[in-house]
This record gives sequence, structure tokens and C-alpha cells, in this order.
Amino acid sequence: MLPKPDTFPIDMAPLKSDLSMPYTLTPGRAAGAFLAELGQRRIVGSRFKKSGNVVVPAQDFCPLSGDSEFEFVEAPATGTLTTFTETAEGLIGLIRIDGSDVDFPHRLVDTSLDDLRIGMRVEAVWADGIDNSILAIAGFRSSPNAPVGMIRPLTDPAQAVEVIPYRLDLHYEHAFGPYYGRLFDEIKTQRRIMGVRTPDGEGALLPPREICDVTHRPTGTWVEVKQTGTVRAMSIINLEFVGQKQAPPYIYAEIMLDGALTRLIHTVSGFDMSRAKELVKPGTRVRAVWRETQTGSLDDISHFELIDADAK
Amino acid sequence: MRNSRNLNMDRVAVVASAQTELRPRWSGAQHVDLISAVVASVFKGTGLSIDDVDFVIDSGSDVLDGRSISNCGFLGAMGAHHKEESRVEEDGLWAALYGTTKIAAGGAQVGLIIAYSKPSESDVNLFYSSQCEPFYQRPVGFDHRAASGIQAQRYLAQHGRTPADLARITAKRWSDAARHGRVQIASLPGESDVLSSANVAAPLRALMMARPVDGAVAVLLASEEIARRTQRKPVWITGMGASTDRHSFAARKAGALEACEVAARSAYARAGWDKPGASIAEVSASSAVSELMVLESLGLAVPGRGMDLLNGSGNTAINLSGGALPADPIMATGLVRLSEAVRQLTCPDIYGLESPSSAIVHGAGGVGMQAHCVMTLEI
Amino acid sequence: MGRHVGIVGVGQTHHSRRRTDVSQAGLVREAVDRALADAKLTIEDIDSVVVASGPVLFAAVNQPEKWVVDAIGAALKPLVRVTSGGGTGLAGALAGYYQVAGGFADRVLVVAYDKLSEGALQYSISTLYDPFWGREFAVGIMGFSAAYWRARMDVLGHTEEAAAMVAVKNRHNAMNNPYAHVKKEVTVEDVMNSKPLAWPIKLLDVPPISDGAAAVVLSTEKLAAQSTDRPAWIHGMGYFCEADNAAARSLLVSEPLAIAARRVYRTAGITNPRRQFDVVEVQEPYTCFELSYYESLGLCAPGEAAELIRSGATSLSGDIPVNPSGGCAGANPIGAAGLIRLIEAAAQVMGKAAGNQIPNAKLALAQSGGGWANLRGVAVLGA
Repeated sequence: MLPKPDTFPIDMAPLKSDLSMPYTLTPGRAAGAFLAELGQRRIVGSRFKKSGNVVVPAQDFCPLSGDSEFEFVEAPATGTLTTFTETAEGLIGLIRIDGSDVDFPHRLVDTSLDDLRIGMRVEAVWADGIDNSILAIAGFRSSPNAPVGMIRPLTDPAQAVEVIPYRLDLHYEHAFGPYYGRLFDEIKTQRRIMGVRTPDGEGALLPPREICDVTHRPTGTWVEVKQTGTVRAMSIINLEFVGQKQAPPYIYAEIMLDGALTRLIHTVSGFDMSRAKELVKPGTRVRAVWRETQTGSLDDISHFELIDADAK
Repeated sequence: MRNSRNLNMDRVAVVASAQTELRPRWSGAQHVDLISAVVASVFKGTGLSIDDVDFVIDSGSDVLDGRSISNCGFLGAMGAHHKEESRVEEDGLWAALYGTTKIAAGGAQVGLIIAYSKPSESDVNLFYSSQCEPFYQRPVGFDHRAASGIQAQRYLAQHGRTPADLARITAKRWSDAARHGRVQIASLPGESDVLSSANVAAPLRALMMARPVDGAVAVLLASEEIARRTQRKPVWITGMGASTDRHSFAARKAGALEACEVAARSAYARAGWDKPGASIAEVSASSAVSELMVLESLGLAVPGRGMDLLNGSGNTAINLSGGALPADPIMATGLVRLSEAVRQLTCPDIYGLESPSSAIVHGAGGVGMQAHCVMTLEI
Repeated sequence: MGRHVGIVGVGQTHHSRRRTDVSQAGLVREAVDRALADAKLTIEDIDSVVVASGPVLFAAVNQPEKWVVDAIGAALKPLVRVTSGGGTGLAGALAGYYQVAGGFADRVLVVAYDKLSEGALQYSISTLYDPFWGREFAVGIMGFSAAYWRARMDVLGHTEEAAAMVAVKNRHNAMNNPYAHVKKEVTVEDVMNSKPLAWPIKLLDVPPISDGAAAVVLSTEKLAAQSTDRPAWIHGMGYFCEADNAAARSLLVSEPLAIAARRVYRTAGITNPRRQFDVVEVQEPYTCFELSYYESLGLCAPGEAAELIRSGATSLSGDIPVNPSGGCAGANPIGAAGLIRLIEAAAQVMGKAAGNQIPNAKLALAQSGGGWANLRGVAVLGA
């Protein structure tokens, strides 16, 4: 029910965008102790004071009662399989460690879906060379004769793990749609920057869009904007940070191209950066400088240069 | 609303809704295109315009959208410029709940609720696995598939049901979705197709899982004063309930959706219903099994007998839209249910319904359907 | 309007650069326990919970309310997450306010947090930018914020010296705030000479990166007395936005903030904010924003902010103290920052500010916001 047909059908492969975000996660007192103790091949649980619930693996807060006061206990490496499934991640079951009041999910190893039975006895399989991860237990395997273990007080608990490195890798394929499709196709093939007129026909919105943000009325016809413009706002970037795409120092600039009513975000360069404050200000006139490459993105513009050559 | 009449609260009505077709991949459109399309359409026939809207509450996901505070970039498309706006990150039904409280409190007259998703641009498995806490659950591969598989394994064992039952309800939902035409379906799966589709989470097959789709939906809420001017028969929101279960999946009540039961009880109590005797139910589901569990948790069938509803038992028309199995636009699925229920109440002829008077609307979120929201509608 | 709503309990963590003793969920629990204790309640007394936190890429957990529910002890209650960038704390409180005012709940717990030590802050904020349009130049929102400050310098006279005075004032005030973790007074020269990060923004214009959480209990009038004989009544609250790349967006005076202030002042009966408010708490992600807020909130006319800070009117002993808590300069767990401003304002009118209590404060203003400086909210609280 998109009301308008594509004004300029463009077959653009989606824009691939990858984010790879690093983290340092703190597990907290209970999970921190649990993960630390796996190094000694000990399984740690929490015994909550008010309810008496035993929770394995250890938790700071009882998932049953919400209690927060607990003492550490040592749990056995044996338990019972209460339910299971198989997904692309492998065989996954809920395990109830002997003496625990709740189950927890883990992998089932050395077995197959057909061999699994609810209520079967299982024991932990330890993995070598894995630190500070629940995967120091590779999973649980069938152990029909495993004796029922006991919850015991935890003696000499290890120092809790405080920080665990982690990474989220996110991959996207963003559609161009009719408006960005034409915009970037024209940038790529014609080196033209196209906006759409506002509903009143006054000036151009850039990037182009189907509706006017202010009135929510349909926008007008396509119009080319100039490749010259005015710096509306600028800052000089010295900060370095993880994930940064440009090497400091550089200028962050919001530029109104001539004919456009909205901003284009880019950089202004081509001069000695020590003179940046005096050369680039709100109101400074600039012109797009194109790269040789034609990728169909804003990166096809290398930078904006100062129009007043004397200023250089 | 709680004792709304005693408290002299404003009544709140749904006065219009609009949605895009729900497609596996809206490759020719961006988020803003889908959003602006439904916002432009929602006012048709109401006499209202974007200028009458006091506030916008929206649902979408930074993780699915690939941008932080993604509502921030879509405000223009949502028609939110210089209005009040907030995001409620769930399935759209909680956004409607927020909007309803705002109008009931007299803080506004007209609210626009918007929900959208484009999971085709992203990785749905990661969207769910990243909801799991990162120390115990995430590393072992526990995610929404494992949770659904475990729910299914337990349900089939506990109630003597079979994968063939799941294939039957799945095929029925897809054919209903095809009949009512707001879901793009390339080929309609039969029961044997369902049973022979890939294993996803034993005993669940791929087609027994809700299919992620792209789409957007907008719903217009209004105070009684406005509603009476715009609609001959306004659809009133008479009850609402919500409940979020434990994160620890293993600590939830086995074989039940306790949060769904709590949310339903609370909504029915506010509506003054002593039983869930609605003409219509539109419910969400992460899998064929969870749909049965939802229907039972809502009180539409006794535990284990949800399948009987397919044989026409009971007086409630259920998921005539097809529900979430053929079309789950993740961050919008609950609001689509609301939109569908309103459409069935106001255009019963399309669905072959005879003067329906009430509806139950259900939304859900999270791994293993951790959170539930229930609304009652009356006309 | 619907039912009268009061803040009857407040709590926050002792914020710090990095907490390695608690998880994100544990941090949330600390604030919740403190707010409930302050309200003389337990979690059983709470009908509904609102969770607010910054963008999920800050902390690697998607929809984190579904994790922290166990730590709050809120299983099976209504629980929802409201997000709105950096102002999410106040946006969450607004949702809670309407749950009470609209009759959905009698008591709502609102908890907001961020554990910024766990992620790559500028990288994740940079993904605010459209992947097609400018993201490769993004420096979180620091580059953007600095750029428009540079523009306001020319038009409104918001000089580097004036912004430096904001840093001096807020850091001075934070010295007395037991929850703040940046405790070091600075001079205007220190700020002016500090390392440029995104000039005109310099190191000492920037708040710390913090781990912290905050919580409030909102209550109906009827139940408020069970918690306190002196609630902070919410006289008005609103949260407005502006399309990020709309034509004619000036970014010189914050229009969404001006609109929010106008609407909320009308509800709350505020006609002369400078004279009527006893105390103001604003969320200043960079010092330059506090100057801009003075103007948008009507504490002075556009172009007079530099003079207002220079005059000392917004200092502790001035006629309109702004950020007696020290604001974000003392601690900045972003997702919680808006709720912390609300808590500090509430504590002032409840007469129990932990640090710099303004004598006889009866009427307080709290401001918050986020995004591209385009999400902006205010709340008016009265004794």
C-alpha cells in the first residue's frame, strides 16, 4: 500500500552495514563467583536466606522469590534432564542440578535427540582451556548411574570474575527505497545531488523523502541542488574513539547546499588544520570535491573545499 | 481502566487503523516509506488530520533497525514533529496501552500509535539471542528457538498432542491469512508441507514458527468526545492488563504462560467481564504451540484443549487474520492484532461475522513469550 | 486532568566510573531498594514497573527490561521499557505518571540506569546517524553538539567562557552531592585550557562516563500518605520532539524544549519561570547545552544566557539556582540522567536534598532530553 509507485525504479543492491561493538561486561557477585570457580571445576550456587531456595548456577537475585540475600554453596556436577530440544545451536536441555530448586539451560553432549529422555541422569562434561565462561562446562552427558549429589557449603571461594570481554557483531542490509535509490544512483552515475521540493515547492529537502517532516504532506518533484553550499555548523574533531571512521583531526560540518533546506553532513578540508578555526565558520562557502571512485554513497564526495581560494 | 467510571476517567476509543501489507521482504521500501504510508492512510474517513494528533507513541527496535534511538530518525515520517513522542519497545500493543492511559488521564485527546519492523534487513535470531542475559543463557545457545522447542515438547507430552495437530493449526492460519489478504503469501503451505519443513526446534518445524515479516501499522486513539464525532460506532478500549514473567526461562511455571493468564485476568476484571466471552480474539504467537497455550491462558479453552477451537467449539472467532504464524512483524505484531480486531468489529461483513460486539486482543514479547499484554474492546 | 500524582520515594546509586562489583541488573536493584525504602514500601506494594535505559548498544543486552525484571523482583507485574535516547529517564517517568493519572496503576516504580563502562560509548552513539547519511563523520553527538554551539556563539553569544562558567558552577555543586563521583573543582582557565575534543567542546565541558541507576515511586494522592507526608506533586510533565532533519530547524533555540516548557508551564500555572521556580535541575550533556536551556526554558531571553551565568543568578546563592546537585558534571549514567534530574528536583521540594538543599524550595523545574538535541522534556514539581 505504498501510495506512490517508484518514481524512478532503481535496482540497487542493499547497503551493507556491519557493526562490531566491543564490551566489557560485569557478571556481578554471584555469576562472577560461579565463573571463577569453574576454573577449579567447582559448580557454585546461591542459597537464599529468606526462602531457603537453592539456585544453581548462582544468581544474585532469586528468580523465584526476588530475594537478594544469599550465601554461596557448592553444587554437585550431576543432575537430571527435565526437558530438551534441538536447534541450529545443537541439543539444548534444561538441567536440574541435584539439590537445586530451579533448572538452567545447557548443551547436551555425546548423545543424540533420539537418546534423550526426560528425567535421565546427567553429569557435567568439563572443557579444557576455557576460562571465565559457562562453556568451561562443555555440556551435560547421560550418566545413568550417577549418584545423587549434595549441596555443600562453599569453602574458600575464588575471587569473583569482574569483567568479561564480549562482542556483538551485527550485520545489516538496508534497503534504498525509491528516494534514497534515486539519490544515490544519481550521485553514482551522474554526480548530481537530487532533492525533492517541499509541498509548497520552496527549496529542496535533502535527502529526498516521500513526505515533508513538518507538515506530513507529500513532497513535490525532484530537483537538483547545487554542489556549493554554506557551512551551517562546524566543529573540529580531535577526539579518538573505538569505531571511528575518520582520522582526527578533521572538521565535522553540517552544510546547507545551495537550493537545499536541510543539512548534509560531511567534512571540509584542503587547508592547514591549524587554521581551521579562522577558515571554517558558520557561513563559510564550500564546494563538493568528488573522488574518482563511484560507489553510490556520500563517500563519493571526498570532502568540501573552501570556495574563496584566497582563504587558503 | 481500573474502575474507570467511578474515577471519572475519560473513555478511550480506537477510531482508525492502517497497515501495510505484511511481506517477508519489503525490498523496495525503507522504514520511513512504510511508516509514512500508514500514517498518511490512518486519517482517511475520520475527519481528523495529523494536526489533530496530540502525541505519538511508537514501537520499533534499534537492534532490528541497525541504528541507535532509531525513533529519532523516523520522527518526520511518523508525523511526530513538534508533538509529544516516546518509544515503547515491545510489539506495539504496549505502546497502545501507554497511549490509552494518556488519554484516560485527560492529558490528550488524540494519540497516534505506530509500530513497524523490517526484520528482513537484520538477523532475527540475534535479535532474540541478544535478549538473553550474557553469562549463562546466551553462551550455551539458549534463545527463542530453544524456548519454543521446549514449550512444544512439554505441551505435546503433557496433553497428548502431536505434530500433526500443530500442522493443522498452522495450515489453517496461513489459509486465513491468504483469504483476508493483508499478508503476502507466495504459496500456501498445506499440512504435509508444514510437517516436512525443516527442523527448527524439535519438535517444531520451520513453518510451525511465526514467520518474521516486514510491515508497519498505525492506530488512532481518541477520547470519547472526539470518538463520538468521528465514528458512528466507536470501538472502546474497556480493559487492559500486562504482565512480564521471569527472565530465567527455567524458573517460569512449566507448561503454562502464567504472565498471559495474569494479563488476561487483569484486563477482564477492568472490563467487568466475569468470563472471556468475546466475539473475536486476535492473538500473538511465537509458534503453533504457543498460540494454543495463549488461547488456553486467555481462558478461551481449557488447558490442552486449544485445538478444539479449530473445530468451531466456542463462540469466539479466533485469528481470522491468520494471526502471527504466517506474519510476525515482531515489533508491530501486537498492534497488528489490535488493528485486525478493530477491522473485524467495524467491517464484520468482510470476515463473515454477524454483529460482533467485543474482542480480546493479545500481544507478547521476549524469548519464550516472556511478556504479555491483553486488551478488551467493545463496540 | 486525571488523578493527582506524587513522587513518594526516590533512590539512586552512588555513581561511579566503573562498577565491577555489580552487573547491570544488580545496579538496577540497588536503586530500586533505595527508592522503595524511601517510600516505606516493598515491591509487593507496586502495581506496575517502568524501566528506562539508554540505547541497547550501550550494553549488549537487547530489551534489557526482560533481564532486569528478576533483579527488581517484579515477576508477573506489568513491566514496560520506555526509551527516548538520553532523556529516557524522564520519558520513563512520564509513562509512569500517566499509568497513575490514567487509572492503570495506583503505584508505579520507575527505574532508569546505564552502565556505560561496559560499552564503546561514542561508537554506539554514532549509530544514531542514518547509515546512508553522515554516519561516517559522527562523533557520538559530540561533533554535532559542538557544531551548533559554534553556531550559537555567533548568534546568541554563548561564548567558551560562559560555558566554562557552567562547568565551574556544576562541579562546585557536585562537591556536596554524595552520589556524584566527579569531585574536583575547576576554574574558568582550567576549562579554557583543557584538551579540545570536538572544539569548541573541550575535555572539561564534557561530563563523566558513569555507571549508575535511579528509581522513583509514583503514587496516587490517596496512597501517598502511607509513604510520606511531603510528596513532590507533579504539576505538569511533557516530552516533545522535533524531526531531526526538518526544513527550518534552527537549532539555535531548542524549539522542542520551548514547546515542552510552554505546554507544561500552562498546565502548572507558571507565567514567570525565573521568578516562580525556586530551583532548576537540567540534564546538560555538555556545558553549552545548559546555556541553551536557560533560554528555551524562559529563565532568560534568547541571547542572555551568557549574562545569566555570569551574574551568578544560577549559582547556589542566586535567585534561580540551576543544578544544585552538580548536574551531569558530577555523574552521567546517561539513561538514568533524566530521572536523576527529576529525583534531585523532587528531593528539593520534599526538603531532603542529599547535597545542596535550597532553603524553602517549594517549586522545582526538571529538564531532560536526548537524541539529536531533538527530544526534550520538562517536569514541574511542587511541595
